[in-house]
Amino acid sequence: MLLNVDGVECRYGSVKVLDDVSLSVKGGDFVGILGPNGSGKTTLLKSISRILKPHKGTILLNEADIYSLKSTDVAKQLAVVPQDTSIGFNFAALDIVLMGRNPHMKRFQMESEKDMAVARKVMNLTNIWHLAERPINELSGGEKQRVIIARALAQEPKILLLDEPLTHLDIVNQLEIMDLVKDLCVKEKLVVLAVFHDFNLAARYCNSAVMLKKGKIFSAGSLTEVLTSENIKSVFNVDAIVTKHLVTNSVFVIPLSPQKSSPSKKCSIHLICGAGTGTALMKVLLDEGYSVTAGVLNVLDTDFETAQFLKIPVTTEAPFSPITVKTHKANLAMISEASTVVLTSVPFGGGNLQNLEAALAAVKMGIPTFVIEEVPIERRDFTGGKAKALLAELKSKGAEFVKDKNELLSLLNVSVEKLKIAKKERDRILDHLKPEEVPKKTKIRW
Amino acid sequence: MSTDNVESTFLQRTSRWKLIILLLVLALIITVIISLGLGSTSVPVQDILTIIGKRIPFLDSFIDSSSVSAASEAIILEARLPRIIAGVLIGAALAAAGVLYQGVFKNPMADSYVLGVSAGAAVGASASILVGAGFVFFEFRLIQVAAFIGALSAMFLVYNLARVGSRVPVTTLLLCGIAVNFFLFAVVGVLEIIAANKLHDIVFWLMGGYSNVYWQDIWAILPFIVIGIVVAFFYVRDLNLLAMGEETAHHLGVNVERSKQILLVLASLITAAAVSVCGLIGFVGLMIPHLTRLLIGPDHRILLPTSTIIGAIFLVLCDDLARVLSTLFSAMSTRDWPVGIITMLFGAPFFVFLLKKKKQSYAA
Repeated sequence: MLLNVDGVECRYGSVKVLDDVSLSVKGGDFVGILGPNGSGKTTLLKSISRILKPHKGTILLNEADIYSLKSTDVAKQLAVVPQDTSIGFNFAALDIVLMGRNPHMKRFQMESEKDMAVARKVMNLTNIWHLAERPINELSGGEKQRVIIARALAQEPKILLLDEPLTHLDIVNQLEIMDLVKDLCVKEKLVVLAVFHDFNLAARYCNSAVMLKKGKIFSAGSLTEVLTSENIKSVFNVDAIVTKHLVTNSVFVIPLSPQKSSPSKKCSIHLICGAGTGTALMKVLLDEGYSVTAGVLNVLDTDFETAQFLKIPVTTEAPFSPITVKTHKANLAMISEASTVVLTSVPFGGGNLQNLEAALAAVKMGIPTFVIEEVPIERRDFTGGKAKALLAELKSKGAEFVKDKNELLSLLNVSVEKLKIAKKERDRILDHLKPEEVPKKTKIRW
Repeated sequence: MSTDNVESTFLQRTSRWKLIILLLVLALIITVIISLGLGSTSVPVQDILTIIGKRIPFLDSFIDSSSVSAASEAIILEARLPRIIAGVLIGAALAAAGVLYQGVFKNPMADSYVLGVSAGAAVGASASILVGAGFVFFEFRLIQVAAFIGALSAMFLVYNLARVGSRVPVTTLLLCGIAVNFFLFAVVGVLEIIAANKLHDIVFWLMGGYSNVYWQDIWAILPFIVIGIVVAFFYVRDLNLLAMGEETAHHLGVNVERSKQILLVLASLITAAAVSVCGLIGFVGLMIPHLTRLLIGPDHRILLPTSTIIGAIFLVLCDDLARVLSTLFSAMSTRDWPVGIITMLFGAPFFVFLLKKKKQSYAA
């Protein structure tokens, strides 16, 4: 084993930031370190790079305790690309890269031709040789980051620690740099330990991962073992859909933003949607604090899948089947429970025309009904005008037409506020109507 | 710009650097010789060379000194030469210390007095002036011994105040330095209040100058300054790496705490030695490193030697000016102009001029 971390515990003062962390890596490993902010990822890298000495446990580099080795001997084997890459004095890019040769040089030695050759090689790898003479502070963030990575590679390390190495890089730079590191990992058996915030980048490049939670290893192993929606939920408190990426075939994570507030604060909303027109709305409405129901949706419909995931109650119909009378009735029952109905810009065909009738029924029941008209009905009416006619009736019966999601939200919030005010006003009036209590203790004495 | 030449340009830097240092040493020698000729009695360059050559072993037998008057010889060797050598040493010391401090602190505002050395020296000197500065102590004047001890005590005080466990974070070091500086200068203020008729002496010491320096003063500070600067040369590459930030330096194989400790002690020793003779000469330790960086770049391997020599040249020239002005204004005041006034009066505008001219390349 090249690097062996065994039972490491680190503290800042009395606060334990790493607790019994163990891992071992061998040549060619590309380990992603995952975890929310404050979970100890950077601390782990710091203890491995000898900046923060663990209170307990050992870190062995080639079977030798890393804290007993000479600084230069460690630097020959282990290089670090830090988060913060600000540089005080204005050195040329090549100077900075040559600093990576420091552990290989003697006190009074100047850079030799060999050092120069190494610098040139790594600068060609990172594609910055043309910037060699440019002052570092004149370079862009991405170029600077490449210089720093080149400096780390110039150390000719066996192990490379990357602490969120991609923070300053745009997407092309991110992929190029990671491709390069991956390449070195495969061809030169370089060990890479990298802190990632992006699950998908980690999934794409790492061959194993460690997920930290509050300083402890929560999960470790292959990407498919570590990146599961259960793990992500319990470590990051975020719902995520985990699938395989169609193109790269690596684990693919779609995180959903955390639930902002619990429902029941506001009223319940019934969505009449389908074909993906309700997907975005469901999440937004939940976040706004409404409780949401939906229907009728066919099983396997995109909106159905979203609703399933978000645990939204749905009136369902069998896949690719027209809405039956029974389901329609069930839907109407659900609608009658809702305090507001929203109809999205769903296309209408013979199969789902009944949903439009359901909306009409809602209006007739006196439930405030909003119709989102993002796409004109002419372009989504596949019923030969029946849908158009029903929509016109909806309008005449008092359904409120809005042009998009945002307008809907503002109207919804206004009506909720109105409801609140109305309730307060009612409470106030009721208060006044209460008979005044006579204070019991008051006794009149002459 | 062809990048194929880049490698050879970088590899051949050593020879270019050697040339720069050689030229600067030549400039320093010329400055010294010209300065020796300046003053109320003019001595021709030829005589100066003869007088100096006569003092160099092996060379003396080839030199005929019959043409030089004994008076000239006395003026050069006993009055002017010690003063100019003191200028060389002190200028070199302050500039070198400035480079070391700025490198370790990674802070452009750091100067040779950043660790409270100046204030400590000022307290020592002021106190000894109150007691009676004429007191001689093993051939050294009390004021110098007191200033040297004051300077080093202040440095150790700051260093220990700033220490957190085994580490000395530069931010706490800077802040402790500032706090101790303020405190000790307040002490100097108190001493000035009770100084009565000796106030004048204290004020002039604080302005910084070395017009009445003797050979024994030079012998006393020479080892500190020379050894200090030479040892610092072992750490020039560490300084480059420290400029990248302490963590980065650590990752690149520098034993950060040890290097920092050694560099700070060296810089403080160098400064304390200089300050004990010359009082507070401002500007040199702060600006000469910046000026040199503007001219030749940030690499400490060349920055430290060039700053050292440029500091020496600069202070000798300023002292020449001080002497000339003292002679010109002798009708108004018999006081020597303190060189500390000159360094700031002429150095600061020159530096601003240079900064304006090259600010693009200097902006971080």
